[in-house]
Amino acid sequence: MVLPSCKKDLISVPQGSIDSAELNTPANIDKMVIAAYSSLGNDDIVTSNSLWPEGDLRSGDSHKGGDGLGDNSGWNDYEQFVTNRNDNTYTDQMWYQLYSGIARANDALARVNGISATAYPNKASRQGELHFLRAWWYFKLKILYNRIPYIDETMPKSSYINISNVQYTSDQLWTKIAADFRVAANILPTTQTDIGRPNKFTAMAYLAKTLLYQAYTQDDTHAVTGIDATKLSEVNILCDSVTASGQYSLDPDFGYNFLTEHNNSPESVFSIQYSINDGTAKGRIDMGHALGYTMNATYGCCGFHVPSQDMVDAFKTDVNGLPMFTGYNIGDPLQGTDFLNYNFDPRLEHTVGIPGNHPFKYEPKLNMDASWARDPAVYGVFASLKDLVAPDDASFQKIAPFMSSSKNWEDMRYADVLLINAEALIELNRESEALPLINALRTRSGNSLGMLKNAQGGYSTNYLISAYQPGVNCTWTQAYARQALRWERRLELAEEGNRFFDLVRWGIADTYINAYIAVESTKWPYLKSAHFTKGRDEYLPISLNQMNFSKGLYKQNPGY
Amino acid sequence: MKIILTILAVFFCSVLFAQQKVLTGTVTGKDLGTPLAGATVKSNEETVTTDKNGKFRITVSRNENVTFSFVGMQTVIIPYKGDQSPVSITMEYSSGSLDEVVVTGYQTQKKADLTGAVSVVNVGDIKDIPEGSATKALQGRIPGVYITTDGSTEGGTTVRIRGVGTINGAGNDPLYVIDGVPTQRGLEEINQADIESIQVLKDASSASIYGSRAASGVIIVTTKKGKKGVNHIDFNASTSLQYYNSKLSMLNTEQHGQAYFDASINDGTNPNNNEIYQYDWNGNFKNPVLNKITLPTYIDAAHTMLASNTNWFNEIGQTSILQNYNLSVSNGSDRGNSFFSVSYYDNDGIIKDTHTDKITLRLNTDYNFFNNRLKVGENFDVTFIKDKLIPATDVLFAALVQNPVVPVHTIDGGWGGPAPGMTDRQNPVRLIDDNNQNNSYFGRITGNAFADLTIIPGLHFKTTYGVDYDGLYERTLQKSYVSGFLSDPTNLVSNSQNYDGNLIWQNQFTYDLNINKSKLNFLLGQESINYINQNFSASRQGYAIEDINYAYLNAGTTNINNGGIGSAHNLLSYFAKADYAYDNKYLASVTIRRDGSSTFGSDNVYGTFPAGSVAWRLSQEDFIKKLSFVSDLKLRFGYGEVGNQTAPNYASYSLYSAIYGTDRTFGDDGGTAYDISGAGSGTLPSGYVKTQQGNSNLKWETTKEANYGIDFGLFNQKLSGSVDYFVKNTSGILVTPGYLGVIGEGGYQTYNGGSMQNKGIEALLNYAGQINKDLSFAVSANIATYRNKVTYLPPDVVTAYPGNGTTKTIVGHSINSIYGYVAQGLFTSQSELASAASQPGDGLGRIRYKDLNGDGVINSDDQTFIASGDPDYTYGLNINIRYKDFDLAAFFQGVQGIEVYNSYKTYTDFTSLWPGTNWGTRTLSAWTPQNSKSTIPALTLVDNNNEGRTSTYFLENGSYMKLRNLQIGYNMKNVLKKFKVQNARIYLQGNNLFTVKSKSYTGTDPENPSGAYPIPAITSIGLDLSF
Repeated sequence: MVLPSCKKDLISVPQGSIDSAELNTPANIDKMVIAAYSSLGNDDIVTSNSLWPEGDLRSGDSHKGGDGLGDNSGWNDYEQFVTNRNDNTYTDQMWYQLYSGIARANDALARVNGISATAYPNKASRQGELHFLRAWWYFKLKILYNRIPYIDETMPKSSYINISNVQYTSDQLWTKIAADFRVAANILPTTQTDIGRPNKFTAMAYLAKTLLYQAYTQDDTHAVTGIDATKLSEVNILCDSVTASGQYSLDPDFGYNFLTEHNNSPESVFSIQYSINDGTAKGRIDMGHALGYTMNATYGCCGFHVPSQDMVDAFKTDVNGLPMFTGYNIGDPLQGTDFLNYNFDPRLEHTVGIPGNHPFKYEPKLNMDASWARDPAVYGVFASLKDLVAPDDASFQKIAPFMSSSKNWEDMRYADVLLINAEALIELNRESEALPLINALRTRSGNSLGMLKNAQGGYSTNYLISAYQPGVNCTWTQAYARQALRWERRLELAEEGNRFFDLVRWGIADTYINAYIAVESTKWPYLKSAHFTKGRDEYLPISLNQMNFSKGLYKQNPGY
Repeated sequence: MKIILTILAVFFCSVLFAQQKVLTGTVTGKDLGTPLAGATVKSNEETVTTDKNGKFRITVSRNENVTFSFVGMQTVIIPYKGDQSPVSITMEYSSGSLDEVVVTGYQTQKKADLTGAVSVVNVGDIKDIPEGSATKALQGRIPGVYITTDGSTEGGTTVRIRGVGTINGAGNDPLYVIDGVPTQRGLEEINQADIESIQVLKDASSASIYGSRAASGVIIVTTKKGKKGVNHIDFNASTSLQYYNSKLSMLNTEQHGQAYFDASINDGTNPNNNEIYQYDWNGNFKNPVLNKITLPTYIDAAHTMLASNTNWFNEIGQTSILQNYNLSVSNGSDRGNSFFSVSYYDNDGIIKDTHTDKITLRLNTDYNFFNNRLKVGENFDVTFIKDKLIPATDVLFAALVQNPVVPVHTIDGGWGGPAPGMTDRQNPVRLIDDNNQNNSYFGRITGNAFADLTIIPGLHFKTTYGVDYDGLYERTLQKSYVSGFLSDPTNLVSNSQNYDGNLIWQNQFTYDLNINKSKLNFLLGQESINYINQNFSASRQGYAIEDINYAYLNAGTTNINNGGIGSAHNLLSYFAKADYAYDNKYLASVTIRRDGSSTFGSDNVYGTFPAGSVAWRLSQEDFIKKLSFVSDLKLRFGYGEVGNQTAPNYASYSLYSAIYGTDRTFGDDGGTAYDISGAGSGTLPSGYVKTQQGNSNLKWETTKEANYGIDFGLFNQKLSGSVDYFVKNTSGILVTPGYLGVIGEGGYQTYNGGSMQNKGIEALLNYAGQINKDLSFAVSANIATYRNKVTYLPPDVVTAYPGNGTTKTIVGHSINSIYGYVAQGLFTSQSELASAASQPGDGLGRIRYKDLNGDGVINSDDQTFIASGDPDYTYGLNINIRYKDFDLAAFFQGVQGIEVYNSYKTYTDFTSLWPGTNWGTRTLSAWTPQNSKSTIPALTLVDNNNEGRTSTYFLENGSYMKLRNLQIGYNMKNVLKKFKVQNARIYLQGNNLFTVKSKSYTGTDPENPSGAYPIPAITSIGLDLSF
């Protein structure tokens, strides 16, 4: 009798999968580059690549929101600081997500490096793009975790277990990240056919941002010990080059940056490209901002990312139309006509959803009601508008129980380039050169009233803003300019996931945040046990999982 | 060859010298007093079966024994003295019987000859239980087999034999062998009435013949066959009512308002700072007086939802009807036998609109050729199941958390739904209604065709080709809706099909040999199994009409989407077994199996699984024979190795996949498509992503088990029982751990990691009593216990399990352990607060956590293993009483000494953990300075004390004893004699009629502490008819 023969029958060909070696054709390499880009949009509801949970909830710009303290409680721990531990799952998830992007970039880069420019004519550009992407992710990791393992495309995966997070000092890591952006700036073309790819000036802008961070030197307890003027000068040169390219300008209306129809506007230096009706069930949409939508019937979930009272108050202006550097948080406008009792910077209603007869996301007839809030007794009723699109927007997509949109996320706006440049100039004692840069933003803000009209054609907020006019409404000293720059950054980039990292860079996180908690907790008692610990809370811990997976190789950040 | 000739010589001799006579008679079954059709009657000359009237005619020789046997009944042996008159034989069911035939791996054996730990189920006990699945009805009946269920209409169960054997979930399911066809699917898809016998191979020495898939035990099911000379029709019908009697007590609208007020006052916040309730009170937080709670007329801004008082559990629950019909026809002759059955099962669940229809069809036939030298046959079962796709888990959760003030419908007939300040969960009635049109259609064919050739007497060759294949079709319409602040203006139709199954080819030789006092039995076999899975799915949106008759893919206009994937693996095995018995006293058995599997790495394609067992029947020794009350005494020892091959497909390969984009609702997305051109829509460029790292060293996980057993029978088997003790060590457990984050996607690698130990003891005791001619009874009791311990885990896997990952790990603890804080009651005085360890968020009425490490601070270091998650023991008690034509059966099942994590407490005890939900009535008796005896934390809306953390507060005594089954029957066959009815029994029965549980358990059903489909109480009326 015939029995089935042995080994041949036991080989089952993997179904629906492909082997690594089959991916080294020019067409497939180009697809591996796309896969690396794709990671930019692969964030999920709790791991936004914009870093709003890490950048806003920890900075005093925003309350967590949602249904009580227990809803996504890992973020509550971020907000309270004292309960933030190394077993916070979000800390681990974010780490993994960012390294996934790096892994895709390294995988693609090794393949691009291994093919000739003859076979693959886009080789140089793609190399530049991948260096850019890799640095983009390392930058986010660096500002979140400080000491991180640095891995490039030449290292085999089997060696990763030997690469410690303290192999490089903080400064060396910045140099590594800057080096990648520098390579990109050197070999990328000045323009790209595909708008989603970075060009030479994109890389320069990010290099400038990296060098700005690196310029503020920190010691092992995260205290800022000095500012490196050489780096600041380079920041200045790089930003000027970006400006000189003529490819970028401020949008005429501040709000264009947050509207789908103005995706990839002249102000966008680098945007994460989202899409809808693209062959996936619910679109490759911006899941990272899904939780910011409110609880009314046209949306329905989830009421997170609630601007703090302090943030709203910070938009107040004085009689001269300038920020109220002191006393701004005395007297709290909450809703409706409260906003006629003070003067405000127009960027307020681009940024914050306000209950009452205020246009919500530029829709005069869509008025937020206190009932849209998830847990008004704990977090209040404001909403973060930059995250959202209007419910009738073509880019809006429900993905039950959540929703989001294919509106691009502007990871770096030209406005940021101006502010980076201004900051460098001020710290170089060239504050007068910074003045026009800051004033450009204030002027644009003043010109951004067109979409803020209520249903009656008027405004529900008193707007008053003016430029800094040394000798007229201010004295433009370095100290004053620094204060003005920091305030301007807060308002211009509010709720965009930057603030906490700015505070840490400037070395003022502990005093600033504890002062915020002291005042805000009188208004919102859930913060009463919150406290920022200097020398610890500037960075997230290395997660317990990663500590364990590294078999004791990784060293924990101080204080955890 | 010499041996064969000897046997032939013996055979011919006996033929030549015997004096042949004919014996006739009738065989009846004692229980029912009816003729027993199909009983086997065996003499040295021939083997016959009784006809439908229980009559037989057999050639015999003077002074030889005639044996009467029937599966599940005690064998009767009578000596033939040469008398010519017909004999009357009465046979009875007995689980204590030694001559009972037991199906073991690829063969049958007499129970007396068993050397391993094999449990035989008394199928008669579960025959009429209308649970839709034989496994469900088995709960608690077999010691060492731990079955958990819920009340869902599909009848799903989880079966764990001798504890949890491995840490990768699916690998803990036993292997089912149905008429020789191995399958991983449970028994809920086959007709319970078709089952003739169920045997459970519990230890490795008996299961190792199934090699690489037997680590979690083997359940062998044999279905009914036609029997020579038997023609009869059986009809069974039953109708049941199912009751939802385990609803949690939740607040009504008024009570919810009171609880909110109390919580708000405790927090010192204005209670009127909410969207629904307005309070007329004195404004004094120190001494609050509430005069009146006012509700708005409408709870939404659009004024469509009237403030209501909805009891959501009542809205989703119902008393439902369950029906069961079964018809079988059995026919047998000299040339062949056939058994045909058809059944219909129709279960309306106790959650509205949940529904399962099941139709099964079975045809088992066999034909004899060449003087019974060749037997050819088949056993086939076709099952068709239609399930309504109601998301029962979501419905139940929504009913728990939805606020009572929300109406089911709006004033204009739309859906009510959550209003401001409430949780974002759906109206559960809408979930039911909007899914009512969605069904899944499942078809499965299981069976085999075989040929069995007797080459020479005692030597058989059998070849079997089997199939176990199933297909699933689903077409669902997701309707657009507006329900409170939840809405979706789009509709979606999804269509999916999934096919998977095995093709099985088995070839085996068996050879029986008797030499003097030695009895030998050999088995040599080979088996190949090919598994394949293929599926595809598609969806579209933009349907003009939301009607299931319209909702085909073609009618969709937007968002056209599809996907599909497959997998395959195969097994090739060789096995051999030898049984040896000397003088019926000394028994030994040796098994070896060699399995090759494509799942494993190139270095370890084959694995070998040896086993051996011995037994000593002391009762056959003269010194025991003197003790007349001992009818059976046997000591058993077995040792064996078995495997588990449950690893991800292709785990030995490093792979990339072209994942374009996936569902991104929860979790991160492995997608590779990106809108690089900024077009915003349209087909996107995409790439490939790494999905796993291969491991060419991958091999089976191995379980080595030693079993020590004793079987005993006293007073002529009136009292019988067995005790087994086992030690089971599993090593090389297949794990796919989390990995160093820097590796990025596709870092998963499966390897042979951990080790685990299970130790346990099982005991079974049967007593059969006869009080007089009319009254008899039988009692069967079983008890089992096991202890589980993880003995080793690779360091990088440890964090995936409870513990702190370093000093306190799961190693040394049960895999089911719970890790958390120790709650020491509530803070009841300022002095207590002052003297306690520093605990962020503490306060009067708040939970006080224990400072385990004594450092004066409550933090994550103060966690420990707070429960093992395993019961002290499990037990079952079955009582049968018969009086004339009446019968009564009661079955109790219980679990003792288990601490369960009552996750319902999150909602029943706290107003702060999910402030937007409804809460339990327990919140009304929460701690206050006035109500200082309460153990329920003071109400608050802000959980600053993090009281949802895993702690002993949620642990409760989950011990229970349930009356699983109570049945009263009356056989009308004497009344209906003239209608030629063989059997006509009517019965009434109840299932889950009552539960005894701990007073300290605050949920409703300790068997179901975390939100599964509730287990109904069932009452039935039924009829069993035989013609």
